[in-house]
Amino acid sequence: MTIRLEHIWKSFGPVAALKDVDLELPERAFVTLVGPSGCGKTTLLRILAGLESATHGAIWHGATRVSDLAPGKRDIAMVFQSYALYPHMNVRGNIAYGLRVRGTPREEIAERVLEVARVLEIEHLLGRKPKALSGGQRQRVALGRAIVRKPWLFLMDEPLSNLDAKLRVTMRGELKRLHMRLETTTVYVTHDQLEAMTMSDRIAVMDQGVVQQYATPAEVYNRPANAFVAGFIGSPPMNFVGTASVSGGEVALDCGPDGRIPIAAAPPVNGFSGAALLGVRPQDLEVLPARRAGAVPAVATLIQLVGSEKLVELAFGAAGKLTAQVRADAPIEAGHRVWVGFDPARLHLFEPASGRNLALG
Amino acid sequence: MTTLGAVRQAIAYLVLLLVTFLICFPLIWALSTSLKSPRDVMATPPRLLPPQVTLENYRNLITGKQQYYRADQSYVPTTAAPQHFTSWFANSVVVSLGSTAISILISTLAAYSVTRFRYWGRRIIPYFSLLGYMVPSIILVFPLFLVMAELRLTNSLWSLTFGYVSITLPFCMWLLWAFFRGIPIELEEAAMIDGASRLRVFVDIVLPSAAPGIIAAAIFSLIVSWNDFLFARVFINSIENLPLTVGVMHFFEGTHVDWGLMMASAVLMTVPMACLFMLMQRHLVAGFGAGAVKG
Repeated sequence: MTIRLEHIWKSFGPVAALKDVDLELPERAFVTLVGPSGCGKTTLLRILAGLESATHGAIWHGATRVSDLAPGKRDIAMVFQSYALYPHMNVRGNIAYGLRVRGTPREEIAERVLEVARVLEIEHLLGRKPKALSGGQRQRVALGRAIVRKPWLFLMDEPLSNLDAKLRVTMRGELKRLHMRLETTTVYVTHDQLEAMTMSDRIAVMDQGVVQQYATPAEVYNRPANAFVAGFIGSPPMNFVGTASVSGGEVALDCGPDGRIPIAAAPPVNGFSGAALLGVRPQDLEVLPARRAGAVPAVATLIQLVGSEKLVELAFGAAGKLTAQVRADAPIEAGHRVWVGFDPARLHLFEPASGRNLALG
Repeated sequence: MTTLGAVRQAIAYLVLLLVTFLICFPLIWALSTSLKSPRDVMATPPRLLPPQVTLENYRNLITGKQQYYRADQSYVPTTAAPQHFTSWFANSVVVSLGSTAISILISTLAAYSVTRFRYWGRRIIPYFSLLGYMVPSIILVFPLFLVMAELRLTNSLWSLTFGYVSITLPFCMWLLWAFFRGIPIELEEAAMIDGASRLRVFVDIVLPSAAPGIIAAAIFSLIVSWNDFLFARVFINSIENLPLTVGVMHFFEGTHVDWGLMMASAVLMTVPMACLFMLMQRHLVAGFGAGAVKG
């Protein structure tokens, strides 16, 4: 059954934390709420959990309106950022607590706890208290506590944020595998766009209480709805140039005294003409050591090596600067004069005032 | 370690031993006196170690037997009457435990309320309650006496129980408020999502998490109630209803003081609290420390 969030508003006094959030979560989907701090993603998650109530709006699970139910009656499970393990109970007690509260028979509790512990490979930890566990182990216990109850919805509030970078990568994969195995609808909150992109079936990008775009990772990456989504999703972040314009089917950079420099044919922008905000990802810029027809001259001002790639800062005179991502062995050093190729299919044009993607109408 | 270092350490230990002896001397002397016969108590010069250890004083206290002092082969009857000692002890236990139980029950619920629920005044209530604690007992005792008289509770253990609650409750609430604030709310939220009701969350999750603070508050309440003299002196006027602190004053009556009985009483009054303190020391430090940091 799908889960529907219908026109959710949430205000804390005069401050509107959520504004008309309307989402449909497909059954068994892994949906990520992503956005900067304060965008309302955790508030939305807490409303789904029943820990906060919406000022307006409703939540439906199939034909059942769940927004009026207490958290314990919704039959959902949540993994908190801090894991929230009960410190006075051992791992077995933590995992079993939800079943015990619901009056599950002892034998069944023991069986289900053991089964979950096997899946998560924490059987050897059942007798330990949370303070005797590492961060990764605590996270598994928190997951175990969630999955043992077989809820219809998992909520996860930045569960990887307290782990080190290496463990985070490992756990991302494990969470995804677990989701595929359990086939339970999951709503995942993170501020890390990489987590969102790698784990999700659908991403809701949020900013200032508003869902900016709700789509698949590919859609959000390749056809961002607006400049905010374009700038938030993708690493390194998208370049933005405010001195671009569209005219006569061409995109040009306004270089001040040097005039307008055409950089590429304009992508489809529904007949738009005039000043525009140009967006181009660092990976989509072609940096050449020699002149080529259609390429634009620039100067490499800064080189940053990031493993197998390097980030090159390119100065286009009065038109501004862009960052390109090239292979680490590319023959480009700081101070070199280079030529930059722009692929029309990889350019994004946004309306300067609203940030709306001009290609999406 | 160098010779100078060893000498320094030896001097430090010597000083510590001396200070410890000075602090403990009254207790040591009390214990020693309690194990002496009446003749040895009054002997000159006074001796720390009893020439002959006797448990007569303790026996007389527990059995309520009247003791006599033999001087120059003649009997000198004392007017000290130890027959009420066991009653006094029982009264102290009942009143201390009763007032502690009531204080802890109310203060845990009150502290949880001001920490977790939202209503007008919740932020100032803990400070307001602490203000009450800062008022000296001597100022409280007479208004409280009037209240007890109005409720017809004077000369009963209830008057002491409720009187002690008025002293201990504010501080217990203050301490537990600071403690509850340190308990992450996510623990309770997790339990609610697991299906627990608010009451069950309080019992299953909050109370165990706050155990060190509750133990510290309980010990504080027990010690205050056990050691009180003023309220008992004012509220109780019949000898059998007295707690220990006032009851043992009766050993001062008569022609002379029965020091052996008095010191035996002092030892029996001190031992329970001392044992409790030693058993709960870890929790006491954790409770007061956490409250101090988080408050």
